[in-house]
Amino acid sequence: MFDEMMGFEGETGRATYKNLSDWLDDQDLKKLSKESVKAEEMFRRVGITFNVYGQKEAEERLIPFDLIPRILSADEWRVLERGIKQRVSAINAFLCDIYNEQEIISAGIIPAELIHRNEAFLPQMCGFTPLGGVYTHVVGVDIVRTGPEDFFVLEDNARVPSGVSYMLENRSTMQHMFPELFTTHQIRPINNYPKELFESLVACANSHIESPNVALLTPGIHNSAYYEHSFLADEMGIELIQGSDLEIYDGKVVIRTTKGTEVVDIIYRRIDDNFLDPLSFDPNSLLGAPGLFDAYRSRAVILANAPGSGISDDKAIYSYIPEIIKFYMGEKPLLKNIPTWRCADKQNLTYVLENLNELVVKEVHGSGGYGMLVGPAASKRELSEFTRKLRANPAKYVAQPTLALSTVPTLTKNGLAPRHVDLRPFVLVSPNEIKVTPGGLTRVALKKGSLVVNSSQGGGTKDTWVLRA
Amino acid sequence: MLGRHGDSLFWMARYLERSENIARRIQAAFHYALSKEDDGKDEWTTIISDTGSGCTFSQKYDETTVTNVINFLLRDRDNLNSILSLVYKARQNGRSVRTALTQEVWLSLNESWIACETALKRPTNIRDLPAVLEGIVRGSSLFRGALYGTMLHNDIFNFLRLGTYIERADNTLRIMDSKYYQLLPTARVIGGSEDQSQWEVMLRSLAAWRSFNWLKKGRLDPISVANFLIFDERMPRSIHFCYKEIKLNLEDLSNSYCSDYDSLNAASQIWTALHHSNSVDKRIKLREFIADHIVKNNLLSLTIASDFNLCKQ
Repeated sequence: MFDEMMGFEGETGRATYKNLSDWLDDQDLKKLSKESVKAEEMFRRVGITFNVYGQKEAEERLIPFDLIPRILSADEWRVLERGIKQRVSAINAFLCDIYNEQEIISAGIIPAELIHRNEAFLPQMCGFTPLGGVYTHVVGVDIVRTGPEDFFVLEDNARVPSGVSYMLENRSTMQHMFPELFTTHQIRPINNYPKELFESLVACANSHIESPNVALLTPGIHNSAYYEHSFLADEMGIELIQGSDLEIYDGKVVIRTTKGTEVVDIIYRRIDDNFLDPLSFDPNSLLGAPGLFDAYRSRAVILANAPGSGISDDKAIYSYIPEIIKFYMGEKPLLKNIPTWRCADKQNLTYVLENLNELVVKEVHGSGGYGMLVGPAASKRELSEFTRKLRANPAKYVAQPTLALSTVPTLTKNGLAPRHVDLRPFVLVSPNEIKVTPGGLTRVALKKGSLVVNSSQGGGTKDTWVLRA
Repeated sequence: MLGRHGDSLFWMARYLERSENIARRIQAAFHYALSKEDDGKDEWTTIISDTGSGCTFSQKYDETTVTNVINFLLRDRDNLNSILSLVYKARQNGRSVRTALTQEVWLSLNESWIACETALKRPTNIRDLPAVLEGIVRGSSLFRGALYGTMLHNDIFNFLRLGTYIERADNTLRIMDSKYYQLLPTARVIGGSEDQSQWEVMLRSLAAWRSFNWLKKGRLDPISVANFLIFDERMPRSIHFCYKEIKLNLEDLSNSYCSDYDSLNAASQIWTALHHSNSVDKRIKLREFIADHIVKNNLLSLTIASDFNLCKQ
């Protein structure tokens, strides 16, 4: 087991964490725990909460915040940044190809049925290239680690990745509570993210529009990420709209205002493809606006991310990403994938069923840590239940080995203890450049030994520092 | 600004104003009940019927006990006009227009909600009542202070103020409607203890007991109370005052949007009439005047909604 502060068992601590470790030695941990309660009170006061689906309407929860930061050295970050940029470029090239020539299928690299039978593939997008050629304006790449140099990409979130507000709030909380740490560490800033997101979106617009009107489309206050939507809209100084505010008028997309109407040029949408437009997708959706997709195809408005981007972060496509990188970039992948068994394949299925108690099984279209099986931690009943599910519908699942995820010291009732973490850096894509914000959201599994870091499953977060040198 | 946001702001202010008004009425009724021989039940039932929740109450409770009434008015989520329901709705509206509010205004609203939810988690017993009510009124004052002190005085501010004053005018009118008129027939002899305390309840409900006494040197007669509550331009809960503010805010909107609005014309008309008659004419029928203004006030609320593209969620 690799601990990012201490190293492997028997090692005496890693240089990156030296300053922090010295500081921790001087701290009264009981006092720190009290501080941590204060931090949570502050979050509740400010209303940094998320809604849990299936709970009472008024139920809003805090994501537990752990005070001990997670630190990445400049060298480690350089590796990650290059790898992420490569991956995200390849994903955009892949999307452009899949919705136009489909050369990667002709070349026999990806089987046609994997695309065409995929729920995330939108035939409505075929033959259309978004303005600026960008499909995934915002990406959150989930990364896990097993050793000093061993980083793996767990998942590419190319649809509507969330969590960036926690990255920003965690940083400002740490600065507020422990300013001294920011004088003893050279930490790269992240607070420009909202401005950069805004500029990145605006860079996609037609150059003849002088100052494009950007709006953020939210499903509304009951959505689990509503706080983030309002936070980002606020920080960017743009309107936070709902589908009911939108109208398609004379080929233009307008929002209804107290003065009349106003044209919108760019919509940073935080609702899923399916809900965007009842005329083109789910006819029962009230979250989007009728005619929005047609307006998009006639280039009256930019939707970020582009509809149909989900075909690139699908868990079955995931296993092809190394080939996708080679095909479009002509390069070796810089970041490793986790070996993945697609259960649709008979041989794979047999292997997965035989080794179920050692594997992690995930739904191809699942998210949020729901509907997954962690073999080593599962009960007999869960194992047999998954055996049944896998036999009944193998194409719905993929399996991966259970990785020994790295740990970072975390404040618990009994002092500091190692807890497993992952990392979601946020990537902005514009026609001019790909930008990775130096940091990201570190999610931590607060239960001892647990590997599930999702906030909907009781995970917490940490501030994530990337050092300058 | 989005029409939907305008609507949320308008109603957020209305819900908050309403919660404060109900808290003040309970305060006044409580004060009355404590200084009475009987338990002041009538007072409680008037509040329930004035908030339009009489049916809900009688469906849920067999008896009009003080405990039932207090809990119904304060914390019953089935009662759409309980203080808890109102503050909840105000906060939900605030959440949906979070980007239009300053951090301080949002904090005051969110903290009000947290305080309310905490204080009203369990049934309220009578000993805690004064502190709970004070907390609610204080929350409202903090919100108002943050609003004036930190918000740009622009259209966002205007919609909030419109909500406040439409609701406040409605409240003053309704209290007069239910109370004042019942009082008149017995008000011939000023100074009977029964009358005195009823006047007091009404004025206390409108946070105007002290100021009225100060202005009138303790002389209570029905005409001066009516004049005070309807026409006094200095009294922040009089109809005249409310309409002065409504007109001002609509003028602001009209100027900044460079457009003329039906709602502004309607409000100006009502204001002009109030402004030019500075006392209750013995010939006007007070009850009709009040009923007429309740209708006009509701109508104005609808006209504002249609003038500015506000939509109901």
